Amino acid sequence: MNPLVLFHLAALLLLGLGLYGITRRRSLVGMLIAVELMLNGAGLALVASARLTPAADELGQLGALLVMGLAAAEATLVLAIILVVAKRWGTSDSATISSLRG
Amino acid sequence: MEEMVASAAYGLYLALIVAGGLAAVRCHNLVRALIGLIMTLFGVAGMYFLMAAPFLALMQILIYVGAVSVLIFFAIMLTRAPGGEAGHESLRPRMGLRELLSVASGLLPAVILAGIVAGYAPPALPLKSEVPLARLGQFLTGPYVLAFELISVVLVVAMAGAVLLGFERRKGQ
Repeated sequence: MNPLVLFHLAALLLLGLGLYGITRRRSLVGMLIAVELMLNGAGLALVASARLTPAADELGQLGALLVMGLAAAEATLVLAIILVVAKRWGTSDSATISSLRG
Repeated sequence: MEEMVASAAYGLYLALIVAGGLAAVRCHNLVRALIGLIMTLFGVAGMYFLMAAPFLALMQILIYVGAVSVLIFFAIMLTRAPGGEAGHESLRPRMGLRELLSVASGLLPAVILAGIVAGYAPPALPLKSEVPLARLGQFLTGPYVLAFELISVVLVVAMAGAVLLGFERRKGQ
């Protein structure tokens, strides 16, 4: 089988697992883990497309690097949000966080 | 021979990704889910090695395994319910429909995209030679300097925001 397709199938597997996890999980931390899975799939697809097609190599590799940087920033922010939610509601269960207040 | 080794390595990394990913989304204990995520991250790093992108593989291990997973571990430990076990996700009895919908929502986009990829993929080139690190650096400070600076700003803003959110005013002020 075409190696390009194989790597893209691995990336799509990560996307599917992430979507499954984010709809199934009940806690915010579990959802964060699922999001990280999806971001990894995105990076893998970018690098595979850059390495195995005539596209510019640096484009894909640096794009994947930027995805990693964004993932780090996102994890930092989500950690802070989870801490605030846990302080206010006493739990990070997504079902209990159902009130909005200005 | 080389082809066979590459296929075997791909199979090994794919098995790591599948096993780790399933643990990451299915384990009720979040610490175990995190271990599964770390396993998946190593599998993806192996795939980067397989595509002759060692810099990215090392960055993956450094940033994801080294930093992001530690952050997630902090999140698990800091949200522990008083008196409860750390990282335990509560279960609810009726899971049938929810489980089914979750599987569908994960499977549907992945299968559609897989069909498109399998149908329209261009023939893969033989692997290009490895890009030297100096060239990546030149690109990062040349054509991509704006993206490079923007990601720095995003990181600073995210960290300042995290500090601001976590800031607790002293009582009595």
